[in-house]
This record gives sequence, C-alpha cells and structure tokens, in this order.
Amino acid sequence: MGKYALFLGCLIPMKNPQIEKAARRVFEALKLDVVDVQGFSCCPEPWNFKGASLEEWLLVAGRNLFLARKNGRDIIALCNGCSATLIEANHLLAEGGIEAKRVLELLKKRDVHLDGKVRAAHAVEVLYRDLGVDKVAKSCSAPLKGLKVAVHYGCHLLRPSEIMNVDDPFSPTMLDQLVEATGAESLPYRDKMACCGSASMNKDVSLGMARKKLMDMEEVGAQALVVTCPACFDQFDLGQIEVNRKFKESHSLPVLHYFQLLALAQGSNSEEVGLSRHKIKAKELNKVISR
Amino acid sequence: MLTSVSREVRVTQVNLNFRKSLSGIEKVGDLGQCFQCSACLPDCPAATFSPRFNPRDIVMRVLLGLEESLVCPDSLVWDCTTCYACAERCPQGVKPVEVITAIKNRIAEAGLLPQQVAGAVTNIKETDRVIVHSDTVDRRRKELALPELVSGERLIQRILRGEGNG
Repeated sequence: MGKYALFLGCLIPMKNPQIEKAARRVFEALKLDVVDVQGFSCCPEPWNFKGASLEEWLLVAGRNLFLARKNGRDIIALCNGCSATLIEANHLLAEGGIEAKRVLELLKKRDVHLDGKVRAAHAVEVLYRDLGVDKVAKSCSAPLKGLKVAVHYGCHLLRPSEIMNVDDPFSPTMLDQLVEATGAESLPYRDKMACCGSASMNKDVSLGMARKKLMDMEEVGAQALVVTCPACFDQFDLGQIEVNRKFKESHSLPVLHYFQLLALAQGSNSEEVGLSRHKIKAKELNKVISR
Repeated sequence: MLTSVSREVRVTQVNLNFRKSLSGIEKVGDLGQCFQCSACLPDCPAATFSPRFNPRDIVMRVLLGLEESLVCPDSLVWDCTTCYACAERCPQGVKPVEVITAIKNRIAEAGLLPQQVAGAVTNIKETDRVIVHSDTVDRRRKELALPELVSGERLIQRILRGEGNG
C-alpha cells in the first residue's frame, strides 16, 4: 500500500467538512497511511482557473505535486475536480509537450523539480485499485442491506479516460462495486453517465441537467444519491432546492459522498458523518441505518 | 418618389489565423481531421439543454476562422460543463472540450471573461482557495473536531510571481 498526503481542496474542508470527517474515519478504519501535509493551495479547479489560463493552472498544480513529492508521498483527493487537475497536470508535465515546456522552465526557476515519480489519485480509485473491493466489503460491520442507491460518478473521475485510465468512461463499474461492498444496492438508471451540470455558467442548462438526473434516479426508486465530488454534491443537495423552486416540484433525494456511505456501513452513525448538515434530509436512509 | 429600402448588411470578420493559432495547442488534437460527423453531439449535456450550444459547430467556427463569434462577451462556450464526452466520442482524435478551453483562454487574454469567472479566479489567486476563509468555516470544523485550516500564505501569488515555491 502507498503512503498518501491528504489533498483536501477547497469545497470539502470549507463548505462540506462532514465529508472530510467521514473520509478520515474511513481511512482510519481501513488503516490507510494518509497524513496531512501543510501548504497545499487550490488544486486549481479545472473550470474557471483552467479556462482563464492553462499555463497558470499548470504552474499552480505543479507546485502542489512537488509539495507531495518533497514529503515522499502520493496525493489522495476526495474531489473529482482536485484529482482531475492533479492527475492531468501531472501527466502533461511528465510528457513535456508544447503546453508544459514553458511551465517546466518557470517551475525550474522557482526550484520546483518534478521527476515524474509522484502519483495523484482520487480516494475512490485508491480503494478500488490499491485496496480492493473485498477488503472494503470486509470492513463493513454494519452493512446497509436494503438501501437502494443511484450512483453518480461525476465526469472528471473517469475522463479524459486516456489520462485517468481508471475505468470505462461510458460504462464504468468501479463505484457501483464499491457501493455494493457496503451492502447497498446500486440501481441501473437512464442516462447514468450524464453530467450533474455544476460547471455550466448557464443556470438554465445547469439546473435542467440536475433535474433530469434526479428524475431518472427517482424513476427507478432510488433512496439515496451517491457522489464522489463536492461540486456534484452541492449541485444535487443545494441544487435540489433550486430545482424545486424553479420547476415547482418536490424532489427530496438525499445526497451522500461515497465516504459518508462507507463510514455508515463501517458503523458510524448519521450524526458522526454529518447528515443533518445536508439540505435534503435522509429520512429513508435513517430507517436503514437506525435498525 | 423613391421609397427607401431598408437592407440589413451583416459583415462577418474572418480570422484566417484563428485555426492555426489554436492548432498550436497540443491538447486540442488535430483540428483538420474533423469531418463534421456530429459524433460529439449526442452525449453533450450542454447541447441537450442549450439550443445555441453544439460542439461540432464550435469546431466548424474555428475551422472557418469565425473568431468573433466565440471570443466575445457572454460567449456560448461558457455553457459547456467540461464533461469530456465530446472528446471521448470523437473518432478522429479531435478534442472539442480542449478547443473550448483554448477559446476560454483567448477570451481571458482579450479581457472578456464573464464577471463570475473573473471573480472566482481573482479570489483563488488572492486567497489560495475557491471559498473565502470565514469564521463560519472555522466554527464548523471545530464542531467536527477537524484540524485547523491555515490561510493567508499567498501560496499561489508567490508561485505565479516567481517568488519561490513555499
């Protein structure tokens, strides 16, 4: 097993610290070697910051990667945006193509030397690849039998697939397997790989996409929605209130980050993983976990 | 007596170097390989919900040099969610999503970023994070017995300005 530096990013520690809490409990239960390293900045996020300047995006990501390397650790992230930025930037800087050349020189001038040996990964990928689904299943002392879950991978966990190289970009099974390891059932549903819409600057597009996904999940009787990214989380949790207001509907599908679901299956209670902080309350879920 | 005829004249500026300038970016793939097949369209979620958005059309505008229609205020490229479905589906190795990122970079260079985007980027550069570090953040973390968050180190400004890597 690897040695990891926990890359918290921004949205989880500042807006959704309950996800961080759950993840820390899971790391401890699974005895993963994960430590805090001081001095990480925003990854930076791959929408606005990358849209403003690919060069500055690479430069800041390069510094974060270097910091992990200096500490002799690989990066483990809890957010699709963080892992996508750090994995892609790591790839581009190691390849040394047109975009990376100038940035590598700028990094050298700043005493940042990347030797291509640091790895960045999403924590879900670490569980799936390095630990294995069986070990995750064995750690679940309080399996969530009877809970019907709709998983939402989030685009950046898998794509661009030639760089992420973790699962099929259109018909993956990684997260479904990890959810089933908790005892819950992962339901098939229409347009499962559609995006949550969070990153679109057009509010009509963004909420339209979230609403369509909620309807597709409700259609198959999902009791909970599981994500691996705080941007997707906000889009579905807070976003559900916005969808209800805009379309005069009454969606109430509780949203969980995978590490909250896993912590519950490992015996944490709903307060310990902060479910009461969510906008959409987990009534059905509480029936399953309070048995 | 002559009646005046109102005729709208539309002039479209073509920048023949637009395609070439974007083709210099490795990540966009070989733009010349696009044969407008629309494989990028069916899985595009932005196109499903925004009538004006179409990744095939964006690539075509680049090929034709219609820079003004993309590098402009309130450009349609901001409808994109960067889900990468277009790049995954392209049989020709063109990456419309990366073309869009390259166009966004041009928009930034031209000083035409939407206010929301410009504000978000400025905040990250000034505070090292997407969200402002408020007392509420500290209070919530304390309630959950999470380690303290350190802020205000100007990490991003220092690396961008070449003031070291710390």
